[in-house]
Amino acid sequence: MIDLKSKLSRLQGQSGRRQSAIQPLSAGSELRRRLDSIRLDRLSPPPQIDAKTTDETLAQRLKGYLIADGVIRIEQRLSLDGRLGRHPLKLLRNASQLPGEGREAHLRQVYIDTETTGLSGGSGTLAFLIGIAVVERDALVVTQYLITRFAGEPGMLTAFARTLTSDDRLVSYNGKSFDLPLMITRYRMQGLSHPFDGKLHLDLLHTVRRLFNRRWPDCRLATLEQRLLGFKRRNDLPGSEAPAAWTDYVRQGRAEKLVLVVEHNRQDIVSLALAHTALSQAIAAPESHGVDIVALARWISRHDETKAYTMLKAAAQPLDDRGKRLLGHLARRAGDWWRALPLWEELATRGCEDSMEQLAKYHEHISRDFDVASRYCKQLKPGMKQSRRLQRIEEKRYRQMLQPAMDHFIDR
Amino acid sequence: MNSPAESFTVSTQISIQDPAERLAARLRSEYGPRITGELVMPARQGDYRPLPGDLDPRLAGALRSRGVQRLYTHQAAAWASVRSDRHTVIVTPTASGKTICYNLPVLQAALQEQTKALYLFPTKALAQDQVAELSALNEAGELGIRAFTFDGDTPGDARKAVRTRGDIVVSNPDMLHQGILPHHTKWAQFFESLRYVVIDEMHSYRGVFGSHVANVIRRLRRICRFYGADPIFILCSATIANPAELAGELIGGEVEAITESGAPQGAKHLLLWNPPVINPDLGIRASARSQTTRIARMAVKQGLKSIVFAQSRLMVEVLTKYLKDSFDKDPRHPARVAAYRGGYLPTQRRAMERQLREGQLDCVVSTSALELGVDIGALDLCVLNGYPGTIAGTWQRLGRAGRRQRTAVGVLVASSLPLDQYIIRNPDFFLGASPEQARIDPDQLLILLDHIRCAAFELPFKAGERFGREDLGEMLAYLAEHGILHREGDQWHWMSDSYPANSVSLRSVAEGNFVVVDTSEGRQTVIAEVDYSSAPMTIYEGAIYMIQSTPYQVERLDWEGRKAFVTRTRADYYTDAIDYTRLKILERFEEAKQTQQAVAQGEVHLVKRIAGYKKIRYYSHENVGYGNIDLPDQEMHTTAAWWQVNPAALEAAFDSRQVALDGFLGAGYALHIIAAMRLLSEPRDIGRAVGDGNARWFATVGSNGRGQLRSSEDEAIDPAQLEQFTPTLFLYDNYPGGIGLSAPLYEQRTTIVSDALQLVAACACRHGCPSCIGPILASDEVRGYSPKEAALKVLTLLTDD
Repeated sequence: MIDLKSKLSRLQGQSGRRQSAIQPLSAGSELRRRLDSIRLDRLSPPPQIDAKTTDETLAQRLKGYLIADGVIRIEQRLSLDGRLGRHPLKLLRNASQLPGEGREAHLRQVYIDTETTGLSGGSGTLAFLIGIAVVERDALVVTQYLITRFAGEPGMLTAFARTLTSDDRLVSYNGKSFDLPLMITRYRMQGLSHPFDGKLHLDLLHTVRRLFNRRWPDCRLATLEQRLLGFKRRNDLPGSEAPAAWTDYVRQGRAEKLVLVVEHNRQDIVSLALAHTALSQAIAAPESHGVDIVALARWISRHDETKAYTMLKAAAQPLDDRGKRLLGHLARRAGDWWRALPLWEELATRGCEDSMEQLAKYHEHISRDFDVASRYCKQLKPGMKQSRRLQRIEEKRYRQMLQPAMDHFIDR
Repeated sequence: MNSPAESFTVSTQISIQDPAERLAARLRSEYGPRITGELVMPARQGDYRPLPGDLDPRLAGALRSRGVQRLYTHQAAAWASVRSDRHTVIVTPTASGKTICYNLPVLQAALQEQTKALYLFPTKALAQDQVAELSALNEAGELGIRAFTFDGDTPGDARKAVRTRGDIVVSNPDMLHQGILPHHTKWAQFFESLRYVVIDEMHSYRGVFGSHVANVIRRLRRICRFYGADPIFILCSATIANPAELAGELIGGEVEAITESGAPQGAKHLLLWNPPVINPDLGIRASARSQTTRIARMAVKQGLKSIVFAQSRLMVEVLTKYLKDSFDKDPRHPARVAAYRGGYLPTQRRAMERQLREGQLDCVVSTSALELGVDIGALDLCVLNGYPGTIAGTWQRLGRAGRRQRTAVGVLVASSLPLDQYIIRNPDFFLGASPEQARIDPDQLLILLDHIRCAAFELPFKAGERFGREDLGEMLAYLAEHGILHREGDQWHWMSDSYPANSVSLRSVAEGNFVVVDTSEGRQTVIAEVDYSSAPMTIYEGAIYMIQSTPYQVERLDWEGRKAFVTRTRADYYTDAIDYTRLKILERFEEAKQTQQAVAQGEVHLVKRIAGYKKIRYYSHENVGYGNIDLPDQEMHTTAAWWQVNPAALEAAFDSRQVALDGFLGAGYALHIIAAMRLLSEPRDIGRAVGDGNARWFATVGSNGRGQLRSSEDEAIDPAQLEQFTPTLFLYDNYPGGIGLSAPLYEQRTTIVSDALQLVAACACRHGCPSCIGPILASDEVRGYSPKEAALKVLTLLTDD
C-alpha cells in the first residue's frame, strides 16, 4: 500500500496541466485526493489574494458612506440646469405623460435599475447594487445602495424599502421581467416582506419596443441613448462585466471595476429618467423623432380614436399596408367611408383578407350593392362564417332583384 | 360451473376451461425439453378492510360513486401509516390499486387542512395519466381539488396559476431539479404548505439516475425546511428486494414498507424456455426470435391477447413483421398485431394504448417502453424475447399479463447471451432468488458535488449543515477554492454567473432528436423521432428503417437539420450498422500497478466510426451485401477503466501476438457482461474496446473470426510487425462526459476480473461460445484453435498478483 502523500505527488506528476488545481491547502485528506482526481473543467483555478481595499476606502472613493455593515449609500444630486445629449435636464420638472395615462403620471416617479451577480435569474442570483432616482425641485437625486459582502444584503433591502412611499410609481428598463422578480426573490430569501405590492410600474422597454422596434436595430438602452437622447457613453463598463467586478471586490478587494459599475449604473438611471421625458416628447411630435407612427396610432386609438385618426391622416410618412389597414379601420369608425373604401380596395388587390371582409360588409350593409358584396365574399377564406355571409348576401340580392315586382304587387 | 360430484377434479377442469392454462399445457406437452424451469403461482383471493372511519365523508362518497366500497389491506395499511406521519413505501403488483394508497391521504389533507402535495413520476406520460385519474375522483366527489401537471410542456402563462393555485402539482424529477428548486421563491406559498411528496415508480430510480434523484430530494427537503415544512413521503414501487432501503436512501430517512398486497390475483404460470441446440460443439442454439414468434403465433391462434417484449427497437420491428406476415396479410382487415416502442409519436402511442385497452389488438410487440405503468388493459400471455437484464425488470414485464384476475402465462425465452444462458440453465437462481437490490450511491463524488453546487445556488450553506455523507465543509471549501462559492462568516454563498442546474442532467444527455420524414408520393410527413445517440446507427443513408414493420429506406440524412428523409420500400432485407471504436487516453486519474498488470481509470477521447452496414435477408438471416455509410465520426470525451498486461509477461505467455489479441477480445467480451451486471446497469451503458491507448490502432473481429488490427486510417496492420505491442482493454462509460461508471468499475476491478474468469472457466463449451467469450467460427472449432483458452490466459494475467 502506497501512502497518501506519494499517491498525491504521483497524481500531480502525472497531470502537469492540473498542478495548479492541486495546491496542497488541506491536502492531507482522502476526500481531498478524490475531489482532486475528478475533472472539473469548468472550474477556474483558485484566485490570488491581493491587498484588500477596505469598505471605508471604497465608500470614500465613491463619495458615499457606510450606513450599515457592508452597505454603502451614495447620493448624487444632478442640477436640472445642465443638459445631457440633446436634451436640457429641466425637462424633467414636468410630468411626462404617455398615451392613456392619468393619475399615475403625476405620482412621484422612481427610476430604478439594479446590477446583479448574474443574468440567469433564479434564487442564486442577487442584486448587489440598487440605484434609484427621483426629481426633487431643482435636481435629479440619484441614490445608490451598494453591498460589499453578502451580509450587507438585508440592510440594503431594508434601506431601499424605506425610500419608497405609497405615492410612487416605479419606472424601469426591463424591470418587469428582470429586476423586480429578482428583487422579490431576494426579499423572500432574506425573510423580509418586499415593498412592491400594489406599486404601479412603468417598464419603458415595452414603450420603446412598441414605438421603435421596426425602426431601430435593437432596443437596448445604449441604442436609445444614441438615437433618442443623442449621446454616446465613453469609457463605459459593459453591463455584462458587472458580476465579475463585484466578485473581484468581494474576493480580492479589487475595487477598480466596481467603481466603474457604480458609475455605469448611475448613468443608466439618469438615461432612464431622461428617456421617460424624451419618449413623451417623441409621442407629441412623432414624425420628427422617427417614431413608428402606425404603432403609435394603434396605441393611442385604444384610448382616443379621434386623436389616432387625426394623427394618421396627417402622417407625412407613406403608410405601409399595416398603416393603411389601421387608417381604414379608423375611417370606418368615423363614418368616413370615402376614405376607407379606396384603402380597402387597394389592400384587397394584394390579397388582404381583412379588407375584403370590410368591403363585403360595406357593400352588403351600406351601399347595398350585393353583386360587389358577393364578389368580395367569395374571395374570403371558406368556412362556416363565410358561407353564411355569402348565403345571406345572395338572399338579399335575390330580394332586391324582386323588389320592383313586389312593390308593384303591393301597390296594387 | 362445476357440480359438487366433480369437485375432486376441479383443478383439471379449470385448466381445461381456462384458455391460458390450456396454452401452458400445450407448450409443456409439445416442447417439454425446451422448458428448463416452471413456476406456478396460484390464484389469490382479495383481502379487504372497510373504508377507514376517519375518512372524510366527501372522499368516501367519491370512492363509492367510483365503485370502491372497501379497501384492500395494503391500502388500509398505507392509510394508517401515512396518517400517523410515517414515510411509507408501498410495494405491490401492477393493478393492485396503489394510486388509492397515496391519493386518499393527500386528498384528505387537501380537503380538511388545505395542504399541498407534489407528485413525481419518471415520465411525462405517466404524469398525465395520473392527473386524469385524480380529476375523475375529484369530479365524482365534487371535491374541488386542483391538480395540475408542471413540466416542460406547461405553457409560460399557465405556470403561475400552477404555482399558486395547484393543490396537487404533478411533475418529474428533471423539472424539480431544473425548473422548480432553483426558482423556489416563486413557489414559496406551495412549499410553505407542502404536506406530502409522492414518488411513484420508485424502482426506476436506481443506478446513476437514482443517485441523482436522491440528491434532488435532499435539495427538496432542504428548501422545505427553509419554508418551515417537513413533508411526508409516500413511495410506490414494483417488486424489488430492498424497497425500504432504496426508499430510505432516496429520501434520506426511515421509511415504513408495506409489501403484502391485499388485491386479488389470477393464477400465473411462468415458463423458462431455452431454444434448442443446433450446433452442440459451438454452443449455437436456435434464435430466441424464432421461438418467440412460434409461441406468440400459437397464442394468437388460440384467441389469447399477448404482449411480446424485445430488447431493442430493431428486434421489435423484426418480430412485428414476422407476426404480421402470419396475421395481417389482408390489408382490408384491421391490424391484429402492432409494434410499440420509443420513437413513435405520442399520438400514435396513445392510439395504440387505446386499441390495446379496448381489445382491438391481439398482439403487441414492445420495448421496455410499455414496462412502466401505462394502462393497457388485460392480457393473457407475456413473452420475453431475451432476459431483460434484471430480475425486477423481468417481473415488471411479466406483470403486464393477467392484470385483471385471470390466469396468465409468462414465457422467458433465453437468447444466446451469457447472462440469459446463465439464468436459463440455473432456473433456481431466477425462480428462487429474490429480485435484485436496487442500489444507488447518492454520495458518488461527482454526482454529490454537482448537487452541492445546485443546492448552494438555491440557498447559501450554513456551517454545520449536512448534505450527504461526505464532509460537507471540505466539499464547500473545495468549491470555494475553485471560485464557485464564497465563504463569508459561517455561510457559503453561490458566487458564479451561471445557473448550475442547467449543466447537470439527471439522465443521459440528448442533443436534439432527429425526425424521420416520409417523402413517398411527394408527401412530407413526420412519421417518427430518433434520439441523437441512436441516429448514427439507425438512420444512415441506405438504412432500412422500420415502423410497424413497414420498411422505409433512408434516402437522405440531413445531419445538421436533424432530419432523415425516407420513402416506402419493398426490400426483403434489413440493415445493421458496423462500427469501430478508437480510444485515446487523455489522463489517468488513478492507477493500480502490479508486476504483471496495471489497471487504471481516467479520461479518454473516443472516436466511433460507423463504417458501413450489412444487409441481412429476412428469415434466412444471410448477409446479402454491404453498403457504405458516410457520416461524421462520433467523438466524445468520457471516462473509462482500462486493463493492460506487462509487455514482457504478455510475450512470455503467448507464442503469437495474434493469439494474444484474440485473447484480449474474448476477455473483453466476458468483462463487459460481468461489469454491466456488477454495476446494475444496462450493457449498453458501458462500451468496450481493445486498442493501444493512443488511437494508433484498434482491434476488431474480422470476417475470418479473428482479431484484426486496424490503423486510424482504417488499414489492416499485422500485429507481428509492431515495434511495441501493448493491447489495452477498455470498458468505457458510454455517455458524453461520463455518468460516473468508470470509478466503480475501477474500484471493483478485482471482482470483475475474477468473476469473468469464473464465467469463462465454468462455461460448458470447448473453445468459446456466445455465452462466455463471444461467438467463434466453426472452422476454428474444427482446427482445434481455442480462443477460449487465449481469453482465459489473458484473464489470468489480469488477475491480481
